[in-house]
Amino acid sequence: MKDPSRIYRWLLLVASLVTVGYLVGAAVHENYLAQWKTVQREYRNILRQKATDDRGRELLAKFRIEMKQASIPALGTVDRCVTCHNGIDDPRMADVEQPHRTHPGHILDKHPVDRFGCTVCHHGQGAAMTFREAKADDVFWDYPLLPPEMTEATCVTCHDAGKLPPEQIPLLTTGMKLYQEKGCGSCHKLGGRGGALGPALDNEGSKTKHQLIMTNLKPPHTTWDWQLAHFRDPGGVVPDSQMHNPTVTQREALALTVYMLSQWKRDVPESYLAPDKIDQKYHALHPTPLTGEQVYQQYCAACHGNGTYSRWDKKFNRFVPAIRGVSLTSTASREYLQANIEQGRPGTQMPGWGPHAGGLLPEEITAVIEYLRSSAAAVPAMTALTLRGDASNGLPLFLRNCAGCHGMNGRGGVAPEIGNPVFQRAATDEFIIRTIRNGRVATAMPAFQRPEAPTFGDQDIADVLAYLRTLGEQRGQKATAQNVTSPVSSGGRP
Amino acid sequence: MAETATREFLHNLHELPHTVKDACFRLGKAPESEREESQATFHNLFLHIHSVRVHVRTLKPTLTFGLGLMATASFVITIITGVLLMVYYKPSTDLAYQSIKDIHFTVSTGRFIRNIHRWSAQLMVLVVLLHMARVFFTASYKKPREFNWLVGLGLLVITLALSFTGYLLPWDQLAYWAITIGSNIANSPRELTDAIGITKFFDPGGFQKRLLLGANYVGQDALIRFYVLHVFVLPLALVTLLGVHFWRIRKDGGLARPEDPMGGIAEWGGERRPVFQPLATKTYGLMALVKGKRPPVNRGPENTVMSWPHLFWAELSVFMVTVAATLILSFYWDAPLKELANPAIPENPAKAPWYFLGIQELVSYSAFTGGLLIPVIVVVGLALIPFLDRRAEGEGIWFGTKSERPIFWQSFFFASAVTVGMLAFTVNYGWLRNWFPNIHQLWIIAINPGSLLVLIFAAWSLFVLKRKDSVRLAAVSLFTCFLVAFTILTYFATVHRGPNWHFYWWPSQWPLH
Repeated sequence: MKDPSRIYRWLLLVASLVTVGYLVGAAVHENYLAQWKTVQREYRNILRQKATDDRGRELLAKFRIEMKQASIPALGTVDRCVTCHNGIDDPRMADVEQPHRTHPGHILDKHPVDRFGCTVCHHGQGAAMTFREAKADDVFWDYPLLPPEMTEATCVTCHDAGKLPPEQIPLLTTGMKLYQEKGCGSCHKLGGRGGALGPALDNEGSKTKHQLIMTNLKPPHTTWDWQLAHFRDPGGVVPDSQMHNPTVTQREALALTVYMLSQWKRDVPESYLAPDKIDQKYHALHPTPLTGEQVYQQYCAACHGNGTYSRWDKKFNRFVPAIRGVSLTSTASREYLQANIEQGRPGTQMPGWGPHAGGLLPEEITAVIEYLRSSAAAVPAMTALTLRGDASNGLPLFLRNCAGCHGMNGRGGVAPEIGNPVFQRAATDEFIIRTIRNGRVATAMPAFQRPEAPTFGDQDIADVLAYLRTLGEQRGQKATAQNVTSPVSSGGRP
Repeated sequence: MAETATREFLHNLHELPHTVKDACFRLGKAPESEREESQATFHNLFLHIHSVRVHVRTLKPTLTFGLGLMATASFVITIITGVLLMVYYKPSTDLAYQSIKDIHFTVSTGRFIRNIHRWSAQLMVLVVLLHMARVFFTASYKKPREFNWLVGLGLLVITLALSFTGYLLPWDQLAYWAITIGSNIANSPRELTDAIGITKFFDPGGFQKRLLLGANYVGQDALIRFYVLHVFVLPLALVTLLGVHFWRIRKDGGLARPEDPMGGIAEWGGERRPVFQPLATKTYGLMALVKGKRPPVNRGPENTVMSWPHLFWAELSVFMVTVAATLILSFYWDAPLKELANPAIPENPAKAPWYFLGIQELVSYSAFTGGLLIPVIVVVGLALIPFLDRRAEGEGIWFGTKSERPIFWQSFFFASAVTVGMLAFTVNYGWLRNWFPNIHQLWIIAINPGSLLVLIFAAWSLFVLKRKDSVRLAAVSLFTCFLVAFTILTYFATVHRGPNWHFYWWPSQWPLH
């Protein structure tokens, strides 16, 4: 009879050989051929070449081929980078090739590896034992190794960037300055202060690549690539973005990127914080008010420009008024301006800036009103208007003369929304009458009662005013609802 | 005196290797006769569950393809690697992920061990499913093996549960969101209770989900639950049921096989002789009973061989093939480990483990139907097979009943066409909710692609029952439809479902978030 188990014995032999082969292969591959062991053998050779004095010979004798790590429980990190970067704190290694080279600069003098580790500054996957996994830009890891020039972003974990020498953190300093100069705060909140059109940026640095739209970018998808590309062309990275093109140079975009990466409320123990960082935290709770001009520059200028002209904004699909125009500031009362600034204009892109909205201090709002009015001429006395208007007569006048720009029911168009509830509440009769009579210099709003050729008589103005006042009643509800659903770019998230 | 004791001591010392060997191995040497071979089998704790002789059909590779053994072998591999992993793993949401990373990076060959664990677990699920298909298509569930079919079903469920509970333990994004999806499948009865408005009073879905997770979300409670299930409860249950499964194979007479034919040429004691055909009208008296040289009366050719060594060579080789396959897979492909679990950043698409993706596809039509009703119908249906199909024919032969193979192929193509057609229709035209936005949810629970598939397959099976007048063929058609639909749905959900469960031809076309 044929041996029924012959085929199985062959199968067993082959399978066993394969098994033994792969077991031995894995053992060699994972142990002897491990990248870090090769690196350490190289380093031992370098040590041998440099062992010319007693100290060098002692270091050579002490050197063992073994895994090395900086385990910092206080920071929650285990950094094994020093397994390959053996010469990181040996000044003799300044001239050798990476990964054996000494850390540049004198940073390690004050930040010893055994107290700080590596990833608290450099990010990357500290626990990894190969360079590819430590760099982690194409493996599953939230915070890959920062490019060297961007590493300064992490200084602010423990330092107040404003107190560090600017030459040590050139990009961060520039980025911080640009953020104010470009008026990014007009749309973005930082530390609770800023507009509401874009997303708040307080934890921008802690975002992972999965929180950003990468569709239009080439891999590897790092957050800094996203930031860089986005600062050059927001709409090209995030479709339908309302963000204005910041018009920055490549280096400025890099600086802003570093500033964004530094926005990370990372918890580190008190003992790691520099004294200036603690001061900074205190000042964040007890802020010093900015001057009116500073407030205007940081929070208003991005949309209103220098404020002396009105313009049509394509992205907003809306008219942006000249808030420092002489005819506005000369007619508008302080209360009118304050109401508009604190509460914003619901239904438009103008957010509220009061302490509970945009986070401006009351002193700062006062200061910025002063700043707006600083361009105002003396207000000429106005003859009182005592006539009673009739809204039904006002309607045809409004339709003929006003609705073309201010829209049906005053819902806005190329000209401001005068049916808006905040406008209706804040604008006094005198303000409206004065505006209709005199118009707005440097805008499309004509004067309707020029002495040489008056369009409206006093009674006409009274009728239009009466009609305007009915708009507030009609639209109150609707305008609020519209404000809630007004399209606001979600920035990074789809 | 002292001299004799010293001599005795030295003698014993000299004999030590032999005496230790004799003490450990009862036979003490390689068996030489059939008697010793049988002793080698039944004097060994691990071997004595085998019979001393096995039928030659048992050793035919194409009868079983060794699938059951492969499943057992992968289970043994997961046990061994699992114990090694357990030494390093810390079942806490704060530490779990880092401990897996440490296994990868610093434990010597830790990554390889985890890969082996992962791959053998995946292999086990796959092989258990194939084993079930083998048993079905060789009709090996028939009397007296009905109970073992049920035990096998229990083992299938435990295998899936073991794999599912293990999925969460790395506490990475993949784990977190797969288990979130899985626990939402447990929550699916809520669709029905919501639709008829009784969730407030009676909420079995919410109860199931909380029972599984220990909370309303995937967190520390879920992790420790899954850990206990994965390393203790489920392996213990599996080992116990596996013991019963093996024991019943032995008690039910080994692997199912057709009756040996009477007559023909027998090989008996090294000689080939024609088998004596007894005449019914004659008595043969003691001739039928005596041993030794005698005509083999009233029996077929002797078709058994000694288990030792033949069966054990076969078993050992299948075991080693499984080990080798697992090692090869583990050497080249790492077990996945994504970013640390982050409840704030959902994976999109979040997909359950692959063997539940068919269910997830059905759940995307209707949670209740896909997540509870259809799985229950499938499990109950599988359990009923040996009790509804009881005619003894075709046991131990692939497609052994008359016209079984054509019915299999007809059902195969029928089910493929219906499933693919249904998917294509749903992807292109949507379903009731797209056509009638205000329709009551109960309509969708009742009529959706999943429930329609079940109905069509049931109708097909009834049609076969009527036309072919055979319960077995009806069962074959239904089981084939189930296998085909399971495979296609699993494939479809794995490859063609992208972010927001939208259809894509390939994952490379997914928009990046």
